[in-house]
Amino acid sequence: MTEAAPALEDLFRHEAGKICAWLVRLLGPGRLELIEDAVQDAFSAALAQWRFEGTPQRPAAWLAIAARNKALDRLRREMRLESLDPSDEAAAWRLGFSNPEDTGKPDDTLALMFVACHPALGDEEQTMLTLQTVCGFNARQIARAFLSTPEAVTQRLVRAKRRLRDLKLTVEIPEGAELAGRLPGLLNAIYQLFTGGYTAAEGDQLMTEQRCAEALRLVRLLCEHPHASTGETHALAALICFHHARAAARTGATGDVVLLAEQDRARWDAGLLARGFGHLRRAMAAPELTALHLEAGIAAVHASAPSFAQTDWPALVHYYEALIELKPTPVVKLNAAIAQGYADGPAAGLAQLDELAGSTQLSRYAHYHAARGDLLLKLGRRAEAGAALRQALECPLNGAERDYLLRKLRACSTPARQAHS
Amino acid sequence: MPSFMLLLHRPLERGPMADPEAVARVTRDYMDWADRTRAAGRLKAGSKLTDDAGRILRNAGGRVATTDGPFVESKEIVGGYFLISAGDYAEACRIAAECPHLKYGSYIEVRQVEEL
Repeated sequence: MTEAAPALEDLFRHEAGKICAWLVRLLGPGRLELIEDAVQDAFSAALAQWRFEGTPQRPAAWLAIAARNKALDRLRREMRLESLDPSDEAAAWRLGFSNPEDTGKPDDTLALMFVACHPALGDEEQTMLTLQTVCGFNARQIARAFLSTPEAVTQRLVRAKRRLRDLKLTVEIPEGAELAGRLPGLLNAIYQLFTGGYTAAEGDQLMTEQRCAEALRLVRLLCEHPHASTGETHALAALICFHHARAAARTGATGDVVLLAEQDRARWDAGLLARGFGHLRRAMAAPELTALHLEAGIAAVHASAPSFAQTDWPALVHYYEALIELKPTPVVKLNAAIAQGYADGPAAGLAQLDELAGSTQLSRYAHYHAARGDLLLKLGRRAEAGAALRQALECPLNGAERDYLLRKLRACSTPARQAHS
Repeated sequence: MPSFMLLLHRPLERGPMADPEAVARVTRDYMDWADRTRAAGRLKAGSKLTDDAGRILRNAGGRVATTDGPFVESKEIVGGYFLISAGDYAEACRIAAECPHLKYGSYIEVRQVEEL
């Protein structure tokens, strides 16, 4: 009984997604709003009641029953107000006879993901709705991840749910060609969930880790589904495993950024890396070669290097060249240039970076200026390096990144011998 | 060991639940206290009461008169109770004084249960 107490918020978050997926199966995606409200009602009731009575023996079942009853209350209230719809009656019956032990079925979660990632919604709405309904984050937490306000997030989620209701969707995992058509949308939402989590623009360590963990959980669900486990799905799983394995080593004792070069590789999660390579093998066994394959391959090169100095930079340059063919974004080109800087020397990398100088996206991207500063510093052009780093500091950054750049900037004004340390 | 009833009074009007995370923290404080008290073998029971003011029954000249709430003019109700065991009032009050209700609610009424 006592062990559940410190993890109350975690318990709620984990159960919220399961209960929501279960109730969406019973009531349909058109009632997402009602379901979310019912789950919130159930949690409020739990908070008020558990104060006095302690955590029940089976808190998950308690919450599922409470949410079901609250949903039934709300449904009956709606039925009295609006015209009698036989589907409401049927839904009420299904709820009444449902078994709360049925929560937590992977297929329900997958079906809900297909609802949340419906192509009628924009990319950001899909990710937000997945965070809310499948992962159980509240508007405040989602707002932190999207650098928005809880009110604005709530507004967008309400609109997204109304749009889904108007589409009169059914809840099911699509099959055949439809599944193949919808899968990239799901993978993209998970990719956003993870990359947004991987480098949270606003320093929020806990949210970052939770988002990565959720992305991993969801992609593994897809990997276990017989028709969703394509090569691309496994490539995404591999990519997330490789990056997530480094999570602990990415942050120093005081929350500061530890760059790849300085990370203690012994702190990488070996089990997760092994799983990553397992997914990568499955990904490579498939006939198609997608951008995710190449991104996973790049992550695998880093994951398999015994030390930063022993990184196979030519292999990375090769992967990046192939990736630019499939995904010619400025950020990919930036990373290709950085890899080239290591493979062929700082001057070659800098030449590549300077070719990208016209990109408006990169001009506001701190990593671009930071990479230039780094290469200029290596070339001993310290005044120019300082200018580049100052430009980086004017871009949006999280606190840890800012601290790192300030340290680097100080190195520009110290003797060259120390600047390389 | 004697039993004591802790009646947790709180304001009748409660604002909307502002911040779910803050509410969860408050709840965890209560649960931590309950866990500690239970682990010490002192907490016997507890329940939340419904959020209304309840009913009062009175004998009005041989007829039962039912009214809402404890007192019409009262601004506080009992939101819940705990039943604890303690050696005496002094110890019961020491246990109750640790309860986070004094921080978040209003006041705690401590009453000893009469035993034969």
